[in-house]
Amino acid sequence: MKKLLIIISILCFVVPVASAQNSLTAFEYSVGFGMGDLNSFISKPSFRGFTLEYRKFVQPNMSLGFEAGWNVFYDAKGNDTYTFGNTSINGNQYRYQNEMPILLTANYYLSPGEKFNPFAGFGMGTMYTRRNTDMGVYSIEEQAWHFAIRPEVGFLYQLRPDLSAFVALKYYNGFSAGDLKQTQSYLSLNVGLAFTK
Amino acid sequence: MTKTLNNMKRKITWTRWLMVMPLLIAGCYPQGPETAADTDVVITSYNSSYNFKSKGTFAIPDKVVKITGNAATGDPPVYVPTVLGNAMIAQMTKNMVALGYTKVDISASPDLILVPSAMETTTVTYWYDYWGWYWGSYYPGWGYPWYPYPGYVSSYTIGTLVMLLVDPTKTGGDGSPVSQWAGAAQGVLTSSYDVNRINKVIDQAFTQSPYLKK
Repeated sequence: MKKLLIIISILCFVVPVASAQNSLTAFEYSVGFGMGDLNSFISKPSFRGFTLEYRKFVQPNMSLGFEAGWNVFYDAKGNDTYTFGNTSINGNQYRYQNEMPILLTANYYLSPGEKFNPFAGFGMGTMYTRRNTDMGVYSIEEQAWHFAIRPEVGFLYQLRPDLSAFVALKYYNGFSAGDLKQTQSYLSLNVGLAFTK
Repeated sequence: MTKTLNNMKRKITWTRWLMVMPLLIAGCYPQGPETAADTDVVITSYNSSYNFKSKGTFAIPDKVVKITGNAATGDPPVYVPTVLGNAMIAQMTKNMVALGYTKVDISASPDLILVPSAMETTTVTYWYDYWGWYWGSYYPGWGYPWYPYPGYVSSYTIGTLVMLLVDPTKTGGDGSPVSQWAGAAQGVLTSSYDVNRINKVIDQAFTQSPYLKK
């Protein structure tokens, strides 16, 4: 971890920018699909999400940057009875899970300067999870700040010299932490616009 | 000059994006319960070592006590309005009879006594936008007429109905009867009492307690 941070710092400050494209800022709409424990809690996909990204090009085919995002997963379970020992609780259950990744990123581009420019990348950082199980006026809340990794693949499609369409498939994995004893992971399909300069 | 203006324009666009983002998040956040009845929760619990099947009779008071705290200070008890109280008692009786119990008078030494009570608690919530109050006017570029305003105050009242099944022969350490079954229904109250809603949660309390059936 420490070595990686040192390498990223060196790349940020020492490697000269040798590209017409200096940086990229992307605003992305994100659709999330829960996996593993998150999918067990809420199986419905999240259509509420967005990601903001900034990438600084250190080589024509390589960028370093950061991203922050948010997805909320939600399911209204309807009326049901839950029994624990000799106690039963009946009511409508509402489940929410908020995921907020904040990551340092590195991306490699296959066709820099081309109209269609596929890329693959890796992100690492933290992911905040807040899980709420609501019944009546009560809410059980569980929180965690995970150590998170995020591989991604995607492409940029140039619309104008300073504007590209952005499409990416990202897999977020937050390792066990805080109140959540199991890994929280989801796949997100991001579509948006990337402003370049 | 043109480049500078373009850069400024771009910065303003991005800043607006960032300002709009919290509104988008608030606007698309899932809302959860849509009606007061969606907040109804019924909880039941019982003594698993108690043999309900060996019991045959029960008694029930003709009024539902409203827990207000004044009984503790020596004032006479307060009751739920008669029309509503009668409806609650009738529904509880109907459920007990359906489970196989026979209703008797308290003087007939019933095996079980069903004790109903109700209470209301009101919660007041308030919110003031102090940030907007103090600093909002310093950001005219936000494109919204920021001015001081007092925020809002709202309140909601939660009603709770408690039903206890007591065996008068079973007492605790202090000599008071111990409940062998407890059912509680709770939900956000509206401006008028909804008997159907109350009947529904009473029915649910007995439905989710199959061990009461004789």
